[in-house]
Amino acid sequence: MGKKEKRSNLISFIFGAIVFIIFIFPLYWMVVTSLKTQVEIFEIPTPLWPRNLTLEAFKAQLSASSDTLRGFKNSAIIAIGATLISTVLAIPASYGLARFRFKAKKALILFFLITQMLPSTLVLTSLYIMFSKVGILNTYLAPILADATLGIPFSIIILRTYFLSIPKELDEAAAIDGCSYWKSFFMIMLPIAKPGVIVAAVFSFVYAWGDLIYGITFITDPNMRPITSSIYNYVQQYQTLWNSTMAFGIIAISPVVLIFIFMQKYIVSGLTNGAVKA
Amino acid sequence: MAERHTRYAYKEGHAMKRKRKLAGGAKMGFLFALPAAVYMLVFIGYPMIQNLILSFKNVDVFSFAQPQNQKFIGFQNYIELFTSSNSILTKSIINTLIFTVGSIFFQFIIGFGLALLFNKKFPGCSFFRGMTMISWLLPVTVAGLLFKFMFASSGGIINQFLMALNLIDAPMEWLLKPGTAMVAIVIANIWIGIPFNMMLLITGLTTIPADIYESCSLDGANKVQTLFKITIPMIKPAIMSVLTLGFVYTFKVFDLVWVMTKGGPINSTELVSTYAYRLSFEEFQFSKGAAAANVLFLILLVVGIFYIKLINEEEESM
Repeated sequence: MGKKEKRSNLISFIFGAIVFIIFIFPLYWMVVTSLKTQVEIFEIPTPLWPRNLTLEAFKAQLSASSDTLRGFKNSAIIAIGATLISTVLAIPASYGLARFRFKAKKALILFFLITQMLPSTLVLTSLYIMFSKVGILNTYLAPILADATLGIPFSIIILRTYFLSIPKELDEAAAIDGCSYWKSFFMIMLPIAKPGVIVAAVFSFVYAWGDLIYGITFITDPNMRPITSSIYNYVQQYQTLWNSTMAFGIIAISPVVLIFIFMQKYIVSGLTNGAVKA
Repeated sequence: MAERHTRYAYKEGHAMKRKRKLAGGAKMGFLFALPAAVYMLVFIGYPMIQNLILSFKNVDVFSFAQPQNQKFIGFQNYIELFTSSNSILTKSIINTLIFTVGSIFFQFIIGFGLALLFNKKFPGCSFFRGMTMISWLLPVTVAGLLFKFMFASSGGIINQFLMALNLIDAPMEWLLKPGTAMVAIVIANIWIGIPFNMMLLITGLTTIPADIYESCSLDGANKVQTLFKITIPMIKPAIMSVLTLGFVYTFKVFDLVWVMTKGGPINSTELVSTYAYRLSFEEFQFSKGAAAANVLFLILLVVGIFYIKLINEEEESM
């Protein structure tokens, strides 16, 4: 490696590190604040790290009387439910749209592409009326059914590029061996497409976990609310109890952060495939 | 991209064989796609049509439970929304445009800079790049909460930072003043959106063959010339995708604003999405809310059609 190259590497590293610090600062600040006392938070200048490190805020959030854990559980049920629906429907759809030629194919791809771009407010009122007629407002089912619509189009787009990248010879060989479409789908394609399925499921989960609008609209019973919707009420109630609010935020993002840490590689590839290739 | 080329080459070679095989497969393909399509039709397509019908009726909190009192009133909801004195809808459209253009401008410039930086290979590159992604993945509600705290007039770090730099004398009430509230939500949204811009642009950059740059530096072109003469024209499709998709995704933002300002103060950060929500679920004027949501949809539709034309052209030119 030449001297010049070494120097340019160093400059890039320094820039990269600065970008990293600026980007990650808001998250650092959230963690630090959650570990501070209220007094420290309002001190001027406020300390950049907790001097009297305390877990009080977290203790309060996780105590039995707090709604936080209940919200967490509600979110888990809703997000897992939506992920299941979305993944189960997206796998065969993306396979069909990648492997077969049929008349409505182009129109269907376009349809899914468009549904991904629609604002939730567009369908919100009608869904509310529909769900109220069927009597599923204030049940987990309402946000589950609505949140799945966020994951389905994105999953289909990601998974389709996955199926497209699998050589066609594979299913042709299977067909020669007398495999039916279903058999070759389940026995050959699905195992190969597993990383794609994981990405799709992760994104469906993250979308459903982060949803606010369906949660606050379809569920008015505070005991049933997903955690991201209760954030909204929480802020109204405890305006300036920032250490406690930030602890709440950390608990709310914990599943997403864990997913991010363990599946970063998949997520990055999923984002670029899903958004660019469409 | 390479994957597409192989796909095309494949198509030519095996067209005959495939035609025979897929004659029976056409129905299968449709059947595979059917459940998802039906699901989306039931929970997106049908509600969209219902929303359109609703916007031409007079459904509000009084007539909601009494279908016999609901009647068609033509375009009256739309007309009232646009022509009432101090039309909040008009204001919210302007606000949404300011919010969108402001966000996209900075997201794109910063995202592009970062894409150029992280497209190089240097120690720690993939770690730094990966970590910046997290702001895009976080639930937007929590991001909103976090920025609400950072912009707070007492205890907020941003005020303290600006005071330490002697840029302001006293803490500002960012979220309580109309002009600065908009600035604050735009800044928060820029932080959320940069990774999206960066990743898509990096994908674009990786498609530029390295030897083009080599021949350029042999010709004596400097870095700025290379950027404007080679890099930007070469990744124009990626740039167009980022901008149009960015527009669509930013124009419909709801959560961030609802958590940070709820559209206030005095509607200064009211977006079309938050206004539509407020009409339907705080004022219970369901038909008016539906009409406002349809206006949002119409604007997105125009941009969406532009985007779809764009990817079709890209596909055909390959």
